Parts: sequence; structure tokens; C-alpha cells
Amino acid sequence: MSPARVSILGLVLVVVAAGATGWVLSIGKQPENRVAVAYPEGLAAVVPLGISAGHAPPLAVPPDNPLASDPNSVEEGKKLYGQMNCAGCHGYDAKGGMGPDLTDTEWRYGGTPIDIYKSIYEGRPQGMPAWGNTLPPNTIWLLVSYIQSLGGTFAAAAPDEGDASPAAAQGQGARAGQRQ
Amino acid sequence: MNRAYLAALIFTAASPALAQSTNEANPAKSYSGATADFAGAGAPGEWTSQARDYANTRFSPLTQLTTDNVNRLRLAWTFSDGTQYGHEGAPLVVGDTMYVVSPFPNTAYALDLTKPGPTIKWQFDPNPSPQAIGKACCDAVIRGWAYADGKLIYNLLDDHTVAVDAATGKQVWRTAMDKVSHGVTMTQSAFAADGKVFVGNSGGEMGVNGWLAALDVGTGKELWRAHAVGPDSDVKIGPDFHPYYPWMQGKDLGVKTWPAGAWNTGAGASWGFVSYDEKTKTIFYGTSNPGPRVPVQRPGDNLWTSAMFARDPDTGLAKWAYQFTPHDQWDYDGVNEAVLLDMPIDGKMRQTLVHFDRNTYAYTIDRNTGEVLVAKNFAYQNWSTGFDMKSGRPIVDPQREPKPGVKIDKVCPPDIGQKDWEPPAFSPATGLLYVGVFNICMGLTDHEVSYIAGTPYDGMEMQRYSADGKDGNWGGLIAWDPAHGKKIWEIPEKFMVMSGVISTAGNLIFYGTTDGWFRAVDAWTGKVLWSQKLGSGIIGQPITYMGPDNRQYVAVAAGVGGAAMVQKGRDGFLPRGNTIYVFSLDGEGIKATGDSLPAPVISSDSGQ
Repeated sequence: MSPARVSILGLVLVVVAAGATGWVLSIGKQPENRVAVAYPEGLAAVVPLGISAGHAPPLAVPPDNPLASDPNSVEEGKKLYGQMNCAGCHGYDAKGGMGPDLTDTEWRYGGTPIDIYKSIYEGRPQGMPAWGNTLPPNTIWLLVSYIQSLGGTFAAAAPDEGDASPAAAQGQGARAGQRQ
Repeated sequence: MNRAYLAALIFTAASPALAQSTNEANPAKSYSGATADFAGAGAPGEWTSQARDYANTRFSPLTQLTTDNVNRLRLAWTFSDGTQYGHEGAPLVVGDTMYVVSPFPNTAYALDLTKPGPTIKWQFDPNPSPQAIGKACCDAVIRGWAYADGKLIYNLLDDHTVAVDAATGKQVWRTAMDKVSHGVTMTQSAFAADGKVFVGNSGGEMGVNGWLAALDVGTGKELWRAHAVGPDSDVKIGPDFHPYYPWMQGKDLGVKTWPAGAWNTGAGASWGFVSYDEKTKTIFYGTSNPGPRVPVQRPGDNLWTSAMFARDPDTGLAKWAYQFTPHDQWDYDGVNEAVLLDMPIDGKMRQTLVHFDRNTYAYTIDRNTGEVLVAKNFAYQNWSTGFDMKSGRPIVDPQREPKPGVKIDKVCPPDIGQKDWEPPAFSPATGLLYVGVFNICMGLTDHEVSYIAGTPYDGMEMQRYSADGKDGNWGGLIAWDPAHGKKIWEIPEKFMVMSGVISTAGNLIFYGTTDGWFRAVDAWTGKVLWSQKLGSGIIGQPITYMGPDNRQYVAVAAGVGGAAMVQKGRDGFLPRGNTIYVFSLDGEGIKATGDSLPAPVISSDSGQ
């Protein structure tokens, strides 16, 4: 590590070079302990928080990961997972620690791509920071790509369905809903 | 056992000479000659603070339970609080009331011991913010609570200290201490002495700025706050600060032993137990690991992390400090408790503190000067090749120093040490300390990390395993002679021993295992006299007390969690739980009788 690198550590205002993505992120404004109300550009505010009883209204935009077909997104998302300190809470193996396991099929706030996007963007009441304050949408989708690669997420709901179906590869442990 | 002897034991703080002359059934001679001042303890039948006394002995003078009858212990009653996080605190018994605080959401209960148990007198719901759950490194736990001046005083996970009227359950005051958004939580057990309550923060893995503060017991007003990192003004170091070793002497070492600016997120949190020497008016407590946990990002000794402070409780000013693990590279911390004992060392009586560090050295230190008198390993370690008594520094094996991206297959102990925060007990009869220990190692890969407020400033990727290989034991209970730095015996255990330990004048030692065994042991021989499997692993601190019915009870919480969860997935590891178990001889106690029992009503058309 260079002395210059050392000298910036410990500052409350830290500039993090987001490696492969090439973005420079300012973390000057730290996430507050609340659920953010703003939504990312291009997403309708009618997106439901998770699957409640009955059928949720259809989304105004297809809720799938726009990077689903990008072969590099998983690897880039994995790097971000380390750089953004996600690993500190959810584990280097993503099997949980301070935060929940991201490899299993239990999702407090929904396990479809848009559910996971929203959890990262808005933060969650038990300590998940609101990354929408600091990360652009594309970066959040990269993180979603990595989490999807771990095998426990659910497929995006088709535009005319309210329910999400378990992803094909989940096997016996899969569940069509999630715990609230 | 001779009653006169017992009385003497209680009231003269256990003179070893008396023990030698009257106790014929046992080896009788105290191994260490150590004695304790039991100031701060309540009445003999009470348990009014986590450690029972200011010296942190966890010794009870009760004698109804003995090595002869303890095998008749049976369940008397239970109490469940319904929460799912680790249960680490000791119930307090003041008069005829037991006080219990749950892990998050930190609900307090007063239980009426004069009624068939458990009978709730009052319940207090402080409603802390759930944001704190995800900021707590090692489960949403609380390690204890304090009783002082008619108030139950404790920390909330969301960085408040609260005082509750012990008679009514109504809040008296609540003081905001820090911000959850900065990654700070509070899991420490408040400690009351000298009209003050001492509280500290958690968040050694979150790049916090560590502190210990004193609040006024009556009003909750903050009297002083001493940080573990930063300039001397923050650390409350003044002209009366006299560390024993030269390398800890100098101005602003809490800044100069760090890369520029790095001290501010350098942790040194205080989440362990506090002890108090009433005669010299000194409090003692430890500080956590430095942040980030990746050492190449913070060259230097990183004072005053992984250290112990002796402070004046009135001003907060430091008297001395001693850093156990300079430039702590493995998250060893220095938070473990100081047990205040007096003992002869090399023929000279010394006023000491005994500290079992996570780094696996057991220290006996002159508590007036900070001089290390004894430093010996109490369990297996491989990070240090020896201890330099002249400089007071451990000698580090360079092969165990982590480099980012390079896996080290075996570092012993792992981050949680061979003994974590779980407190030991002292027997004035044997002169020994009884300590729950681990027997574990880690595979370690460091990753460089950036500081992002409210997220882990961590970087350690670890796998923990038994030091003895795949089928090896993970823990044990040891009996330790603090004057000679010698292990006298050990009870090996398949699972980590992470409960508190207590000792009684009946020559009994009680402890629990993280796979749910609660045991009573002969203090002299280590022979297991009684065992009961509970519903969950035990990481709570046992207590013993005399009920209003003049029966001696033993109580402990079974609710595994915290760092014991590194064993999750091992065969035999029990699910989480939330129950306090209370035992007595033959399970006798205050039972529901007569009018309070339901009676059958015979139907009129029953044909009888």
C-alpha cells in the first residue's frame, strides 16, 4: 500500500474508487437511518415492497435486471460486494453474519431482482444502509447480478403476474413466497 | 463443613491460613494465597451486580449447596423472554426481586421471588431502534445491567443508557450516548459504583471512535467521557498519567502511533466489564481492537487500542494504561475484565489485577502501577513466540502476520481469542481463578477495506476450527493459579465454554457450555458433580442467591448466540433459546398451593 493511500484512510469523507466500473463515488453524505423515499430514475413509485397477500398491481416497467445478459456483471458485482463493505456484514461467502444470508431462499423484503434492488437502494429497517444515496443505478444492478448468481433469488415476475416464481435452479429448498 | 470456618471465610475475605487449618477434607492450602476485597457486594443472599462485587470475583458466600448435596439440584422454575438473540447477562437479585433484561429489544422484567416463579411485577419496554440490530457485530446482545440507588440501569443497543425505577418499572432518565448511523451500538454491561454508572460503546468492527463515559446515577447526566484514540485531551491523559513502560510514555500517543488521521476511526471500543478499587478510587476496563482490522492499513502500535486503563472515577483522568497487543493484527482486543486480587508474588504481597486476554496470555499486573508481574499462556496459541518481561511486550511470530490477499492456514487463537468476554470466577479458598476457554484456530485472509460510515471497517475473512483438528475439542474450563501463572486442571469440552463462571463458599464452581450443559464442579479437584442439559447453548452468566424461602438457588440463561455461533452447523449445536433456568435442591421452592391451584368442577350430570 502506498503512503498516499494510507493517508486517506480514516477520513470520514472518503473517496472510493469503484475499481472495474470506473466510477468515483463520494461517500460524504452518509446514509441516514431511514428508508429513503426517492426512487431511481425510470422506476415507477408503484413498485411494491414485497409480495403481500393477493396480487400486486403490475409494474410500469419490466422489473428484471437490465444487466441480466451482461456476462461481466457478476464478476464486477462481486468486486463491488467487497469494496462497498457488503462482505463485512453478509460475509465473504455471502452466507450471513451481521446481516442475513444472501445465498438461501429466505428474503425478508422479497427475492426478485427489483426487490433486491430496492433493498440496496432504500436500505432496510434492521441496519441495511440506503445505498441510493451514494451508488448510481447501474452499480446497484451489478450488485444484484452478483447476488442473483448465488442461487437463492427468485425470477422476475412476468408483467401480467403478481407472484414471483422460484428460480429454476433452487431445488427442494425453494419457496414461492418469502418471510416478512 | 464447619460453620465457624465459613463465617470467617465470609467476613475476613478468606484468609488462606484459616483455610489451611480448618478444611481437612481438601488439599486446604490456597494455591496462590490470593485474597479479594468483596466490597460492593450486596447481602450474602443477593447478587446485585454482574460480577457480584467491585473486584469482579463472582464469588458467593452461600453454603447451602455443597460438594455433597449439589447432585440433588433440580429445576425449580423457568422464565422465557421470547427474544431470539444471544443471552449473555446475569440476572440480578436485590431483596425479593429478580431483575432481567432481554437482548434486543432490551425489555426489562422484575420478577417477584416471593411468588411461585416466574411472577412478573413489572415490565419495561424501551423500544430501541431496530436499525441497531444490523450494526451489532456479534448479535444484538446485552452483557448485563446494573442496580444502583433504587434503579435498574442499562444500555440500549441503539446507544442510549436508561434508568428504570426498580419499584415501579417507570423510566427515570434516558441519555443519548452515540449514533447508530456511525456504526456504534451498546452491548456493554453498565457498571455502577461511587454514585456513577460507567458505560462504554461497541463497534470495534465498524471504525467507531471508542469511549467510556461516567453518568450520574440520579440524573443520567454525563460527567465525563474518555476516548481510547486521539489526542491526550480526548483520551483524558494529564500530568498524573504514569504508564509503567517507556514505549507508552509521551504526548498524544493516541495520534502519533497511527497513520495521519487514522486514529479517528481506530475503534478502541469499551464493551467489557469494569472493576473498581474502592480503596485507591480507581476503575479498570479494557479497550477493543483497532480499526480497520487489517493491520497493513494502520502501521504503528495503535494506542490505546487492545489495552487496559486505570482511571479516576471522579475526573476520568487516566492513572496508567497498558497495551496487551501492540498493533493488534488479529482482532484480539483488550476488553476482557480485570479481577482485583492481592497475592504474594516472589515473596512480596502485591495489589494486582488478573486479566485473561483474548491473545491467550494471562496477565497478573500490579494494579497501582501497570507493571506486568506474570504473563503466561493459559491455552494454545501460535502468534507469539514469547513474552519480553523487560519491555512488557509479546514477541510476534512474523509467519502469523497477515498480508492482504494471502491466506494463512493456521493462526491460534482466532479473532475471538482463546477466551472472549465471558468472565471468570475467583475462589478465596483455593486461590484459583476458573475460566471458560476455547481451543480454536483460524484460517485468515485479509482484504483491504475503505471506511464507509455505518458499515464494517473490517476486512478479515476467517474459518475457525478446533486447534486439535477435525474431531478436536473446541473449549474447556480451566483452574488457574494467578501468582505462578500455572494451569492446575482443565475440564475439556467438545464445545466452546463461553458462559460466565461463579464460585461459592460451598467449594462449588458453576459454568455452562455452548452446547447446553450446565455443570457444578468441585473447586479443588475439577470433578464434575452435577450436569443438566438445557434447551439451548449457555453464554449467560450464572448467579446464586438465597430466596425469601431461605433456599439457595442457582440461575442461568440458556440462549446461545454471539460469537458462539461460529460453531453453528456442528453436530450437537442446539438452536437459539431465551430461557432462564432456576435450580434448587430437589427442585423445591415456593409452589402454588391451596386456593391458587385450579380445581376440577364436577359436572352435575356426570352420573356420579
